[in-house]
Amino acid sequence: MVNLTIDGKAVTAEEGTYILQVAQANNIDIPTLCYHPALEPFGACRLCTVEINSRGRKRLVTSCNYSVEEGLEVSTNSEAVIKGRRMILELLLARCPNVPLIQELAKSYGIKKPRFKLEDDNCILCGLCARICEERMGVSAISFSGRGLERKIDTPFHIHSEICQGCGACAFVCPTGAIKLEDITDKEPRPILSEFNAGLSPRSAIYVPFPQAVPKVPVIDRDVCIHFLTGNCRTCENFCQAGAINYDQEDEIIEADVDAIILASGFDLYDPSALEEYGYGKIKNVITAMQYERMISASGPNEGRLERPSDGKTPKKLAFIQCVGSRDTHHKLYCSSVCCMHATKEAILANEHYPDLKAFIFYTDMRAVGKRFQEYIARAEQEYDVTYIRSRPSKITENPDNENPIIWYEETTARTRTTMEVDMVVLCQAMIPSGSTKEISDMLHLSLNDYQFVDIPDRLFHPVDTEIPGIFACGFCQAPQDIPDSVVQASAAAARAAEFVSRKD
Amino acid sequence: MGNKGLSSVEELEGLRKEILSKRRPDKPVITVCTGTACQTYGSLEIYQKLADQIKKQGLEGAVVEAKATGCHGFCEQGPVVVIFPQEICYVKVKLEDIPEIVSATLDQGRVIERLLYEDPVTGEKITKDPDIPFYKNQMRLVFGNNRYINPSEIDDYIALGGYSALSKALFKMTPEQVLEEIKKSNLRGRGGGGFPTGIKWETTRNAPGEIKYVIVNADEGDPGAYMDRSLLEGNPHSVLEGLIIGAYAIGSSQGFVYVRQEYPLAVSNLNVALKQAKEYGLLGENILGSGFDFDVKVHRGAGAFVSGESSALMTAIEGKVGEPRPKYIRTAVKGIWDRPSNLNNVETWATVPLIINNGADWFRGIGTEGSKGTKIFSLVGKVNNTGLVEVPMGMTLREIIFNIGGGIRDGKKFKAVQTGGPSGGVIPEKFIDLPVDFDELSKAGSMMGSGGMIVMDEDTCMVDTARYFLNFLANESCGKCVPCREGIKQMLDILTDITEGRGEKKDIELLEEVAATVKDFSLCALGTTAPNPVLSTLKYFRDEYLAHIEQKRCPAYVCKPLISYYIDPEKCQACMICLRQCPVGAISGGKNQIHVIDQTKCTKCNTCFEVCPPRFSAVRRLSGEPVPPPVKDRVLVRRKG
Repeated sequence: MVNLTIDGKAVTAEEGTYILQVAQANNIDIPTLCYHPALEPFGACRLCTVEINSRGRKRLVTSCNYSVEEGLEVSTNSEAVIKGRRMILELLLARCPNVPLIQELAKSYGIKKPRFKLEDDNCILCGLCARICEERMGVSAISFSGRGLERKIDTPFHIHSEICQGCGACAFVCPTGAIKLEDITDKEPRPILSEFNAGLSPRSAIYVPFPQAVPKVPVIDRDVCIHFLTGNCRTCENFCQAGAINYDQEDEIIEADVDAIILASGFDLYDPSALEEYGYGKIKNVITAMQYERMISASGPNEGRLERPSDGKTPKKLAFIQCVGSRDTHHKLYCSSVCCMHATKEAILANEHYPDLKAFIFYTDMRAVGKRFQEYIARAEQEYDVTYIRSRPSKITENPDNENPIIWYEETTARTRTTMEVDMVVLCQAMIPSGSTKEISDMLHLSLNDYQFVDIPDRLFHPVDTEIPGIFACGFCQAPQDIPDSVVQASAAAARAAEFVSRKD
Repeated sequence: MGNKGLSSVEELEGLRKEILSKRRPDKPVITVCTGTACQTYGSLEIYQKLADQIKKQGLEGAVVEAKATGCHGFCEQGPVVVIFPQEICYVKVKLEDIPEIVSATLDQGRVIERLLYEDPVTGEKITKDPDIPFYKNQMRLVFGNNRYINPSEIDDYIALGGYSALSKALFKMTPEQVLEEIKKSNLRGRGGGGFPTGIKWETTRNAPGEIKYVIVNADEGDPGAYMDRSLLEGNPHSVLEGLIIGAYAIGSSQGFVYVRQEYPLAVSNLNVALKQAKEYGLLGENILGSGFDFDVKVHRGAGAFVSGESSALMTAIEGKVGEPRPKYIRTAVKGIWDRPSNLNNVETWATVPLIINNGADWFRGIGTEGSKGTKIFSLVGKVNNTGLVEVPMGMTLREIIFNIGGGIRDGKKFKAVQTGGPSGGVIPEKFIDLPVDFDELSKAGSMMGSGGMIVMDEDTCMVDTARYFLNFLANESCGKCVPCREGIKQMLDILTDITEGRGEKKDIELLEEVAATVKDFSLCALGTTAPNPVLSTLKYFRDEYLAHIEQKRCPAYVCKPLISYYIDPEKCQACMICLRQCPVGAISGGKNQIHVIDQTKCTKCNTCFEVCPPRFSAVRRLSGEPVPPPVKDRVLVRRKG
């Protein structure tokens, strides 16, 4: 450990660390442009220059790559340093007058208009893109070409790169937005879609799945992480101050002797692409209910703004189609039980956000069996401009002029076949027992009923007991039910399990 | 061609005796300088004709010998031919002179008067080249052997005592003793930095790591400097011998010679030398049977000035783009592939054998307190004797420029001398008695640099000079760091504006402000020294800048946008010479009609100024004043007599 002072403040640091790192660790601000904690210091922008007094000699050095020494005196804002920073920023601003980052930095040093002729570049030649491509990704698809005033970032021979892996790291680290992936490769990057946001927004390979995740700790998706795909990168490791990133972590297999098991493996959503007549996946403005939920959520990717996929317009006419995959001889025979109510809630939410929005719910019959649920439906009709149409539409087509979905249906009360053009359609898709339900049931030798739910032999008196004593099942894995019902069943299963275990003693 | 490998000092000395015994000191040898400069005068053809002539007359071998040597240094007077043993020096030799030279040599070494050098002051013809003032006033310790050596003939080098320093070092001295000797000599790097060579060697030797490298920096990028080229072309073994001695002292077994792309003759002569040294067991494994292994790789540059900077050079040797590295750890400790690497200039290495042979005390007897030994300069520009000169440190600029250089050509007045290339500055007349010394030149605001010395006269515009160097640096900057890339660009912009008549009062202040940042904040020495030409011309010739800015006047009549050509109607005799010679037909007039230059067409090529007969001298250059309108009556009244 060495002792040094920065701006008069006494600090200690490990030998071999750079002045900039020590300053940052002590909350002393030194401006940088070409510095990145996961890359070798480049020393190109010279903005991080500080004045040091080492063994009686005063020098100006770049703090990003000068190692600390015992007794070093560092001044991060002496007159000489400030003067030089000002000039550097003035020179950069003359080169890139329209880059917001440079404008802000220059402004913070009192420079509004450079005294030089203005150019109109947006690359500051910091090299972050080329360096991350070489040092972290091991690809070197782009690099510096040319010398002096001709220097620029380019691919070999100025043609699209064949080796670019489309990771987008270059565009990500670029501080000015000068790097465009389409200039480097003609590969289209495949975005990693957030599962929690139903594919509406991208996420990174290392991510916290959702805000309420337990534990609320990032995970690495090994299927898309560059390190697991190519052996390179590991940039996240450089940022984690807790040193918590461990690429070698493996699944832990824990063996436990237990006296009872509660199966609560939940549900998955049925993919409505299977119902080709509804055009999900082909017609842009046909979305699932889960996607709608994420769109309208204040904490979702749109922050609650309803923007239809094709052009971002707010729909004025919104349609909900019930029983998409449920109560259907071609797909799932059962009723998923929660969709009528969530569709009503969604229609109410839409009208609350956008008062002149009209919603149309195409239903088979309204399953409003809970307490005060029917009142809720009535209120939707009366106060929130929701219209219920008893019909199961036969198909959805698209108006090519404006990408509006057109619903083809029969009014069963009036017995007329007709169409309705709307701005957006929400498909209330069926819910199915989760994939792990079958897997675990097979392991435990539990039977599944005809609808693939865990079989409960005696629903009347033992609603959470499976056929095997000691194994209990609750929630959607054994029958379609909403949240309150699932919670009740969970308590029941816990009570049954406790009773069972105590009786065993 | 057989195993000539020498495996002991005795064998080396035996070979040396043998070579000398085969050479008759009285046999005439006609040497032709075939350094790159003389080659451009056609000296290679001259040598060829000479060799053919001798062969044709059946004289080769016993009677007379032709030898192609490297650069002699008297480049103004090339092609240079020197005949031994009499040391008769013929200058500006032409192809057709060869037969006469051969016959005169056979005729008991008769001297051909018309080919001798004529002293411009005394009118005297000088026969022997050591008597020529250009050579007489030099101290050619490092460079002098060039005239005796055919660089493709290792035996020539050995005949002069070559590799005796190496054998002394390997067998009579330990590596530490060699190191101490170089340290004691106070030899400072000749490449520009002037860093004490012994200390650099010591740092490399003491740096942790088994593998160490020694490097010859032959990138010589300063415009006008060609000392290293001539040394490497003409006496490559002197550099090699110094390199091997250095490697021994430092503990390195691998050396590199980084030669710039534009020196093909140096590369080929070097490669021949390396091959021959290897054959003789003076390079490679078990040198002279000492157990010391050392080999050399030649690496060619790719056309960049910046790759002469030592960290850039090492990066280039690693196979990457030759850009300087932003490191605060000395390359002597972490250089090529992070291994201790000792880099020295060509001339520095060539000085080493002399020090080993003659001792550090001898070396310290030459030069000044702070700068020991001799230095080779390329004396170029507006001086009569342009060429390569080697002088002891401490000789004054006046002595070099006037006694050796023969003064300013065409009888013009000395204005300044630019030293140190693009990193250096100008030294005006009031400091012309400054001794040539690392510290003295730095104190005056310039630097010794690698040895370029550009002499300027009253016809040189100092603002244009600064602009020239900035333009060079703007093109050669690697572009990595902001102050150098953007700062030099803006300084160049301002200077271009000033030289083209768009200068404003605030420009000088802005120039100095940008210069300060470029100087203190750039990543490498190219940037930090880039403002020097500007700052030193501003220091000593600020009035010229002000004239350009305030009066739109170029006192030296160089900056074309600021000068106009005007035919004085009082003097013009309508001889039609300029009218006919004007390349753009801008001059109108007739046999008896006073000529007038159309200012809208004039390209300022200077032709009319040059061709107007001196007795008329009717063409005037104007600057900072408007051109008078043409006279109404242009009919010429001829002067009588």
